[in-house]
Formats: sequence, C-alpha cells, structure tokens
Amino acid sequence: MACDRSATLPALLADGAFRQPRRFLAERHVGRCPDCAMALDERHAAKTMLRTKLPFHRAPPGLAARIGAALPRETPPVVARRRGLSQTFAGGLASGTIGALAGVAATLLAVLPLGAPDAAVQGAIDSHIRSLMADHLTDVATSDQHTVKPWLSARLDVSPPVRDMADLGFPLVGGRLDYVAGHKGAAVVYRHAKHVINVFAWAAPGSDTGFAERAHQGFNVVSWRRGGIAYCAVSDLEPDQLAAFARLASGPAS
Amino acid sequence: MAHDDRKRRFELLALPHLDAAFNLARWLAGNSADAEDVVQDAYLRAYRYFDSFHGGEFRVWLLSIVRNCFLDWVKDNRSGRLLFQPEPAGEADDMLWSERPRDPESLLLDSIDSQTLEQLMLRLPIEYREVLLLREVEDLSYKEIAVIVNTPLGTTMSRLARARLALRKLWLDAHPSEPAHGL
Repeated sequence: MACDRSATLPALLADGAFRQPRRFLAERHVGRCPDCAMALDERHAAKTMLRTKLPFHRAPPGLAARIGAALPRETPPVVARRRGLSQTFAGGLASGTIGALAGVAATLLAVLPLGAPDAAVQGAIDSHIRSLMADHLTDVATSDQHTVKPWLSARLDVSPPVRDMADLGFPLVGGRLDYVAGHKGAAVVYRHAKHVINVFAWAAPGSDTGFAERAHQGFNVVSWRRGGIAYCAVSDLEPDQLAAFARLASGPAS
Repeated sequence: MAHDDRKRRFELLALPHLDAAFNLARWLAGNSADAEDVVQDAYLRAYRYFDSFHGGEFRVWLLSIVRNCFLDWVKDNRSGRLLFQPEPAGEADDMLWSERPRDPESLLLDSIDSQTLEQLMLRLPIEYREVLLLREVEDLSYKEIAVIVNTPLGTTMSRLARARLALRKLWLDAHPSEPAHGL
C-alpha cells in the first residue's frame, strides 16, 4: 500500500514549502520511503518538463518604450528620460562587460598555465577567476532566490536550482549570465564566510551523474549532471566543505 | 523634480519584470495584441498606485495588478468568456490531495513537445493555468501566488494540485493509446 504521505509531502517539498527544520524531517522521510521518493522524482521531472517546454512569451521590443512614453504627462521630453534609462541598464551592463573582458585577457595571460584537465572544469575555473578579478560577480544581486531564478530562466534555456541557504551557512549572493567552455549558462553565486562560490550551470543532455571532485590551480571544483543540466561548483573552499555544499545546492528542489 | 524621481524609481523597479508581466498576460489573454494592452494598462495603473507599494516583492505586487487589469479587460470587452468559476462546492481539499497519480508523471510528460503542451495549457481553465504558471515558471511561493490570485492559501494550494491533475488528464485524454505506465 502506498505511503499516505506520498500524495502531498513530495509536492510540498518540491515546491519549497517547508522551512527548516520541517524540510529536514520531510527530506529524511523521503530518504526512507520509496513511495515518497518516487513521487518526488516525478514531481521534479514534471517541473523540469514544464520549465523547459512551456513557451515563455517575452515582451515585444517596443513595449518598454511605449510604456515609458505613456507614463506620466508631467514629465520632461522623452529623450532625456530614455537616456537616463539606458545609462542605468545598458550602460551599466556594457561597462561591466568591458571590465570583464579586460579582466579575462589580463588573467588568462598572466596567471593561467597551459594544460587544462577538462574543458568544462578549466572553463569553470576561468569564469570563476574572471568573476572575482573583474568585480563582475552578479548581474542580479540579491539574496532572494525568487528573484534570481526567474531572472535567469527568462534569459536562458536552463533553469538551475537557486536557493538561499543562509540558514546552512551559504547565503545566496546573486546570479549572472556566463560562458563556460563555450556553453552559455548561468552562474549562481553563493558565499561562505569570505569565500565566493560560483555554481555554473548549462544545458547538457544526458543521464544524471554523481559528484566528481577535482582540485586545480588552487581551486576546488565539484561537477555533476542532473536533469539535463551540467553543474560545476568552483571555490577556494576546503574540498569537503565544497562537496557538502554541492550536495545541498543540487537538490532536492530542482 | 519629484516627478522625475518617482518615475525613475518606478522604472527601475518595474521594467525588469516586463517579461514576467507580459508572459502572464499572454497566457491569460491568449494572444500578444491583447496581452500588450493589458500590460500597458497594468504599468500605468501600477504607476498611479506606486505610493501604495510598501516594500516586499515588487514582482508579486505587479503581477497581481496585471491579473486585475486582465479581469477588467475581459469585462470591458464583453468577450463572453467564462472566467474564474467558483471552486466546485463540496469538493474537500484533502480529497484532492489524496488522489495519488498512478502513472509516473515523468514518463507521462517526457515525450510531450512544446506546441502540444501549449495547446493543453490553453485548454485548462484559466484559474488552473495561472497557478501553474506562477508556480512552475515564475517560481513563486504558495503564499505569493495566493496574494496574486487573491485567494486563501489553502484554496490556492489545492487549486494547484488540481491544476496539475487536470493537465495530466488532458494529456491522457489526448493520447489514449499511449498509456504512460509500462513505458
């Protein structure tokens, strides 16, 4: 007979409805109950399917300008307003990008030795260094997972888990778009004490894998694949701390 | 000027959520032209009531205005569409929760393509469609969804469960020859 909690508990867990310590208790139950474990897997799969396959309708190009123009009548000329806006958004982004590129060039030439262990790992380490050197850690800087995740999902074809784990010692710092070894993907940024952790995520069809740990160039890297997304967590944290973090960051709310 | 400041603050807060607002309106209205009208109306209204926004998640505040504008738009256009039917009377919430799906959803939905999924979504009652979107796409919490759809938390949660079952059922009905179990 099916576990009578399997109808509700996995859905609540997958929807992130539990706070600690209830989440811990729920996860412990799922860990011991095959019915609930199966139901939770199904829920995650269904959620991933909806997120990846449901069309996201972006606003048409001119809509922001039309809204801006329609806002209040008692405003200065449109030109002045729009310059202000573009400075805020596009200007900020552009200078960030240029800074990032300059940082990459300098970093790659000066610091990195040749001979990559693995294109993805090397790419992740490069991006990690770049994010620190160029002071371009986040495009969206907030500890609110409900802001970071949709922000990333709207701009990428992957939707990696984003969870503020401040209660576990890993507060969320924000997210940004990044390239890792030729893949356009997300970087979700966490902190642990003074250490920055970048979790890179990009679309990588294939079956799920376990956690692979590596050390390279003074950084520790944990990589895994889950739900068609490849992940790479990079930090100068201690290996076992990073390994523990990766397991927390990877689920169960995917 | 004070007006400039206010407008600038509003734009900084509101424009980053334009895609989310449009997506919701597009799913509710069913086409882009109407969705644009709804969103534009919503932004003007949000700007008018901007002073009543007292912190919290701006996206939630904005999306609830988008939804209200959509309702008004439907009323004004007398489209004759039947919207937001009351919850079926006597249907206990826990009855729904106990209806445990027998087919693994993962297998069921794996083979679906985007177009079919969109069709199925558009066939769902609109109150199901919106909670599914807000939860799965916008990743909002139960509490936030309840605020946007202006419904008590418990009702919102059971509506979401019901919406998930309804989507499964539509898919099963559309594919009677492909039972998901046994795949």
